[in-house]
Amino acid sequence: MMTLLGISPQLLFGQLLIGLINGVFYAMMSLGVAIIFGMLRIGNFVHGAQYMLGAFGAWYLLHLPDLFPGFGLPSLGYWWALALVPVAVGLIGALMERVFIRRVYELEHAYGLLLTVGLAMVIEGLFNVGYGAAGQRYDIPAALRGGVNLGFMFLPYYRLWVIVAGLFVCVATWYIVERTKLGAYLRAATENPNLVRAFGINVPRMLMLTYAFGVGLAGLAGVMAAPIYQVSPQMGQSIIITIFAVVVIGGMGSISGAIFTGLMLGMIEGLTKVFWPQASTTVIFVIMVLVLVFRPAGLFGKETASAHAADMSTARPNSFLENGRLWLPILSVVGMVLPFLIYPVFGMKILCFALFACAYNLIFGYVGLLAFGHAAFFGSSAYVAAFTAASWGFPTELAILSGMVVATLIGAVFGWLAIRRQGLYFAMITLALAQLVYFYAIQAPWTHGEDGIQSVPRGYLFGFIDLDDTMNMYYFVLAIFLIGFAAIYRIGRSPFGQILKSIRENEPRAISLGYSTDRFKLLAFTLSAMFAGLAGATKAIVFQIASLADLYFTTSADALLMTLIGGVGTLLGPIVGAIVVVTMQKEFATLGAWVVVVQGAAFVLCVLFLRKGVIGTLEDWMATRSESKRIAAGYATGLAAKAVE
Amino acid sequence: MTIAADNIIEVRGLTKRFHGFAAISNVDLDVRRQSIHALIGPNGAGKTTFFNLITKVHQPSGGSIRFNGEDITNEDPARVARRGIVRSFQISAIFPRMTVAENVRIALQRPKGTSFHFWRSESSLSVLEDRVDELLAAVGLEHMRDQTAAGLPYGRKRALEFATTLAVEPELLLLDEPTSGLGTEDVERIAALIRSVSANRTILMVEHNLSIVARLADKITVLARGKILAEGTYAEVSTDPRVIEAYIGGEE
Amino acid sequence: MNARVSLSVSDLQGWYGESKALHGMTFEVGAGEVVTLLGRNGAGKTTTLRAIMGLLRKKTGEIRFDGEDVAGRMPEYIARRGIAYCPEERGIFASLTVEENLFLPPVIAEGGMAVDDIYALFPNIAERRNSQGTKLSGGEQQMLAIARILRTGANLLLLDEPTEGLAPVIVQQIGAVIRKLKERGFTVVLVEQNFRFASKLADRHYVVEHGRVIDTLAAADVAGNRDRIQNYLKV
Repeated sequence: MMTLLGISPQLLFGQLLIGLINGVFYAMMSLGVAIIFGMLRIGNFVHGAQYMLGAFGAWYLLHLPDLFPGFGLPSLGYWWALALVPVAVGLIGALMERVFIRRVYELEHAYGLLLTVGLAMVIEGLFNVGYGAAGQRYDIPAALRGGVNLGFMFLPYYRLWVIVAGLFVCVATWYIVERTKLGAYLRAATENPNLVRAFGINVPRMLMLTYAFGVGLAGLAGVMAAPIYQVSPQMGQSIIITIFAVVVIGGMGSISGAIFTGLMLGMIEGLTKVFWPQASTTVIFVIMVLVLVFRPAGLFGKETASAHAADMSTARPNSFLENGRLWLPILSVVGMVLPFLIYPVFGMKILCFALFACAYNLIFGYVGLLAFGHAAFFGSSAYVAAFTAASWGFPTELAILSGMVVATLIGAVFGWLAIRRQGLYFAMITLALAQLVYFYAIQAPWTHGEDGIQSVPRGYLFGFIDLDDTMNMYYFVLAIFLIGFAAIYRIGRSPFGQILKSIRENEPRAISLGYSTDRFKLLAFTLSAMFAGLAGATKAIVFQIASLADLYFTTSADALLMTLIGGVGTLLGPIVGAIVVVTMQKEFATLGAWVVVVQGAAFVLCVLFLRKGVIGTLEDWMATRSESKRIAAGYATGLAAKAVE
Repeated sequence: MTIAADNIIEVRGLTKRFHGFAAISNVDLDVRRQSIHALIGPNGAGKTTFFNLITKVHQPSGGSIRFNGEDITNEDPARVARRGIVRSFQISAIFPRMTVAENVRIALQRPKGTSFHFWRSESSLSVLEDRVDELLAAVGLEHMRDQTAAGLPYGRKRALEFATTLAVEPELLLLDEPTSGLGTEDVERIAALIRSVSANRTILMVEHNLSIVARLADKITVLARGKILAEGTYAEVSTDPRVIEAYIGGEE
Repeated sequence: MNARVSLSVSDLQGWYGESKALHGMTFEVGAGEVVTLLGRNGAGKTTTLRAIMGLLRKKTGEIRFDGEDVAGRMPEYIARRGIAYCPEERGIFASLTVEENLFLPPVIAEGGMAVDDIYALFPNIAERRNSQGTKLSGGEQQMLAIARILRTGANLLLLDEPTEGLAPVIVQQIGAVIRKLKERGFTVVLVEQNFRFASKLADRHYVVEHGRVIDTLAAADVAGNRDRIQNYLKV
């Protein structure tokens, strides 16, 4: 048997084939994401869920008689699914655009991403409730069973079909966008929507159709994927982050660029599986890092400007709710009494997550950058603290410090990479970089894969305070939280914090006054990572475990949700948000998988109806009330003066 | 042969192309130290582009820019600002949710060298308050110092932007249409302000209000179609037939 | 003036954010007329066109087109009623070919110019129909920007400084085109700074300053009032 570099051609070509198939899916998906992004300026995070809907749609059609017994419905097979499901998923997309997405066009881009994150959580959560983690089998259609032996490898017909059909769809999409009248509208509206409207074209309707089309592509990819991968609620979650990385690598330059990048990355992934299997899950993210370093605009992209901050803060600086000198003592007292009112362990969980949210608020609220990868800092610090405490016998405080140092370093590197790109890309890049850390943790031996690092000793603080005692542990955590809270407050009010504020409110102006704003953003990002690390390490010690969940993107989403619910940029918002989210997770824990649905719904509702969050809304309300009181008082004195005359 | 010391800025062969279209082509321009120099011209002449090139918001496609004799063609915008070239914007550039005093203080903060000091208290900046008050008094905003900037009337915002710009002690002040969108009273206020700050400073301004230009400018450069059409005093420029043609249209 | 009024604007006030740009614009255009809005930079001419087109949202006052008040309408509605707009920056799409740019605006009514007639009017465009839109020269881009609104059947054309930044030869060509358009019965609102160009084309001139009309001159009055006009416009 012939071998190539010691590798059998069967393996090589087999993996290349799998890579090519993955590449076809990447291409179809990133095409949809890129078209939606170009036209609607929405980072469509729900794209993965829509892909999953496609797969489930096919499965439903097949099982119509079982799902609706007594109606005499036929079982509709693959070919029906191929025709019907993309249209159905596209219609669902149109509906989603109409009901939800349309409402955020005029808002900061961040809200579009948050909204679609929420929608993805709801949809995937619902399917998780219904079907759990187990995948459903979907058989290859009869006509495409079997395969052909090419001599050097066996080529299953279905895989050949997926490649041919997928490529055809990509090329057809390219043709529609680049060569037809409809595509000309699309390209023109991407460049200058107002002028296109002034020509009499109904751009809002075009936006809906574009979204429906992109989503329909995801649905189609889902149908085609059903017989290859198992049909499972999780199938979209993992692919969407990869797709975002593909989009970052390719850039937004051209449709053909998106197709080429998708295919190429699939193949590279396949080849990596042959030569260095451990790296195959991370290779795309590593390529993303390289592209960001050497070609920040992406392989086919054009823009290179760095991320501009967006003012998302809802704080009113004059409100007494923003006065840290007042609230630090109040929080200290409340914190000291708390373990007598609620379970101390629950209290510690709230404190850890409140600190995490405060850290996140530093970059999202104070600077206005939508970071979406804080799980990387929280989780890596948790792992390092757990590992150094458990395996190296580090004393507790040193273990926590080690975790923080690692989180800070990772934060500095990620920040340096991500700040090169604009707006929504910043979110995509931080998300993808965090996923890199997640995949690393799955593979690395010291992290113990799915098990995580368990039975971490809590140890003795300063060598003599026994942290296995719950109350001791609680007050230690409280002290950490208060120090973190005070430090973050100080940063916000420091000379540095003033510059951050100016960057958030008007970055071009800050630059014109001589501030190299990227450096300020990088330092803020690094500090934010450091405090997120402090929270993660503390959490690992308290709960005596570091697990993959700490690194998963849902943890990043938690930080976002807490900040959003509480009030972005406010002093107390992250704490309130942490209380709400942690309580919600506890209360709904009995409902199991429903937690994700509830959290997703909270995201959506916050974006649509409570953008200022609890604290921001409260501050607004108080300000308006005192304003109207003032006016009323002025009016009264005015009347009195008139009466005197 | 030019004497570098006399010119604060010397632009040679400056060119900027967008999609192959030359917005600025081969412009030579000298600005004399401590003068008020106005840049005028019909719409689309390239005035704002020229500003963006000097402040490095855009990278030139060709040519060179020297400031105080040093080549700044390839520097980044923040660096150029630190050298002392500071601009105002067409749309009032303020920090809307900060107070009037904080707006000015941001600009004063940089020379202190503590801008990266995240561990210090804000009160470490209180030494700047006197200077803040001076600057606010100079633009007539002293009684509004603790108001939120967003709440100011438009004319006052422009005044605040002016105070913030002055706070950086720019050697070269670039004003992009300082009077646009203002009522008559505000226009007069700004004009007086420009006059008063021009001592010991160089001002390069783009302006549409020609009565302001006529009153303030020592020298006027007329741009048209990305090229310099004429240069001189107001009297020279306003009677130049090429300028009249550019503004009113040529004979066939 | 013709019997039928095509466009009448009264007491139009408009804002860009907080900056007020229009302070009570009032003027009228009869069907088949060519009318100019003259004035210096920043007088509010472009803003007026954007307001008519529905692109300026923050505004008060009345904009009647063929008798209907369209001031509160969306741009796509206004375009479909028969107003076509050629913006100052020309708005040629870089990602579209010349031909795609030309065919982009949808036909909204019968009576638009045939493609062959358009190509006859603009031979350069016909030659370069497959190039990328923004690869054309400035003059050609301007021609294209005008050409593409002639097919649609719109009757009222809003042209924003079509001569801006163009060489005299091209300016003459554009003048010839506008004359032909008038012969074909189009109604034209022309925003100009170039008075000598405008004076040969228009039936009436409205002089705009500080966001309102400060003077009106019929074509016949132009010859006797050169100095007056020069004073409005000169440096």
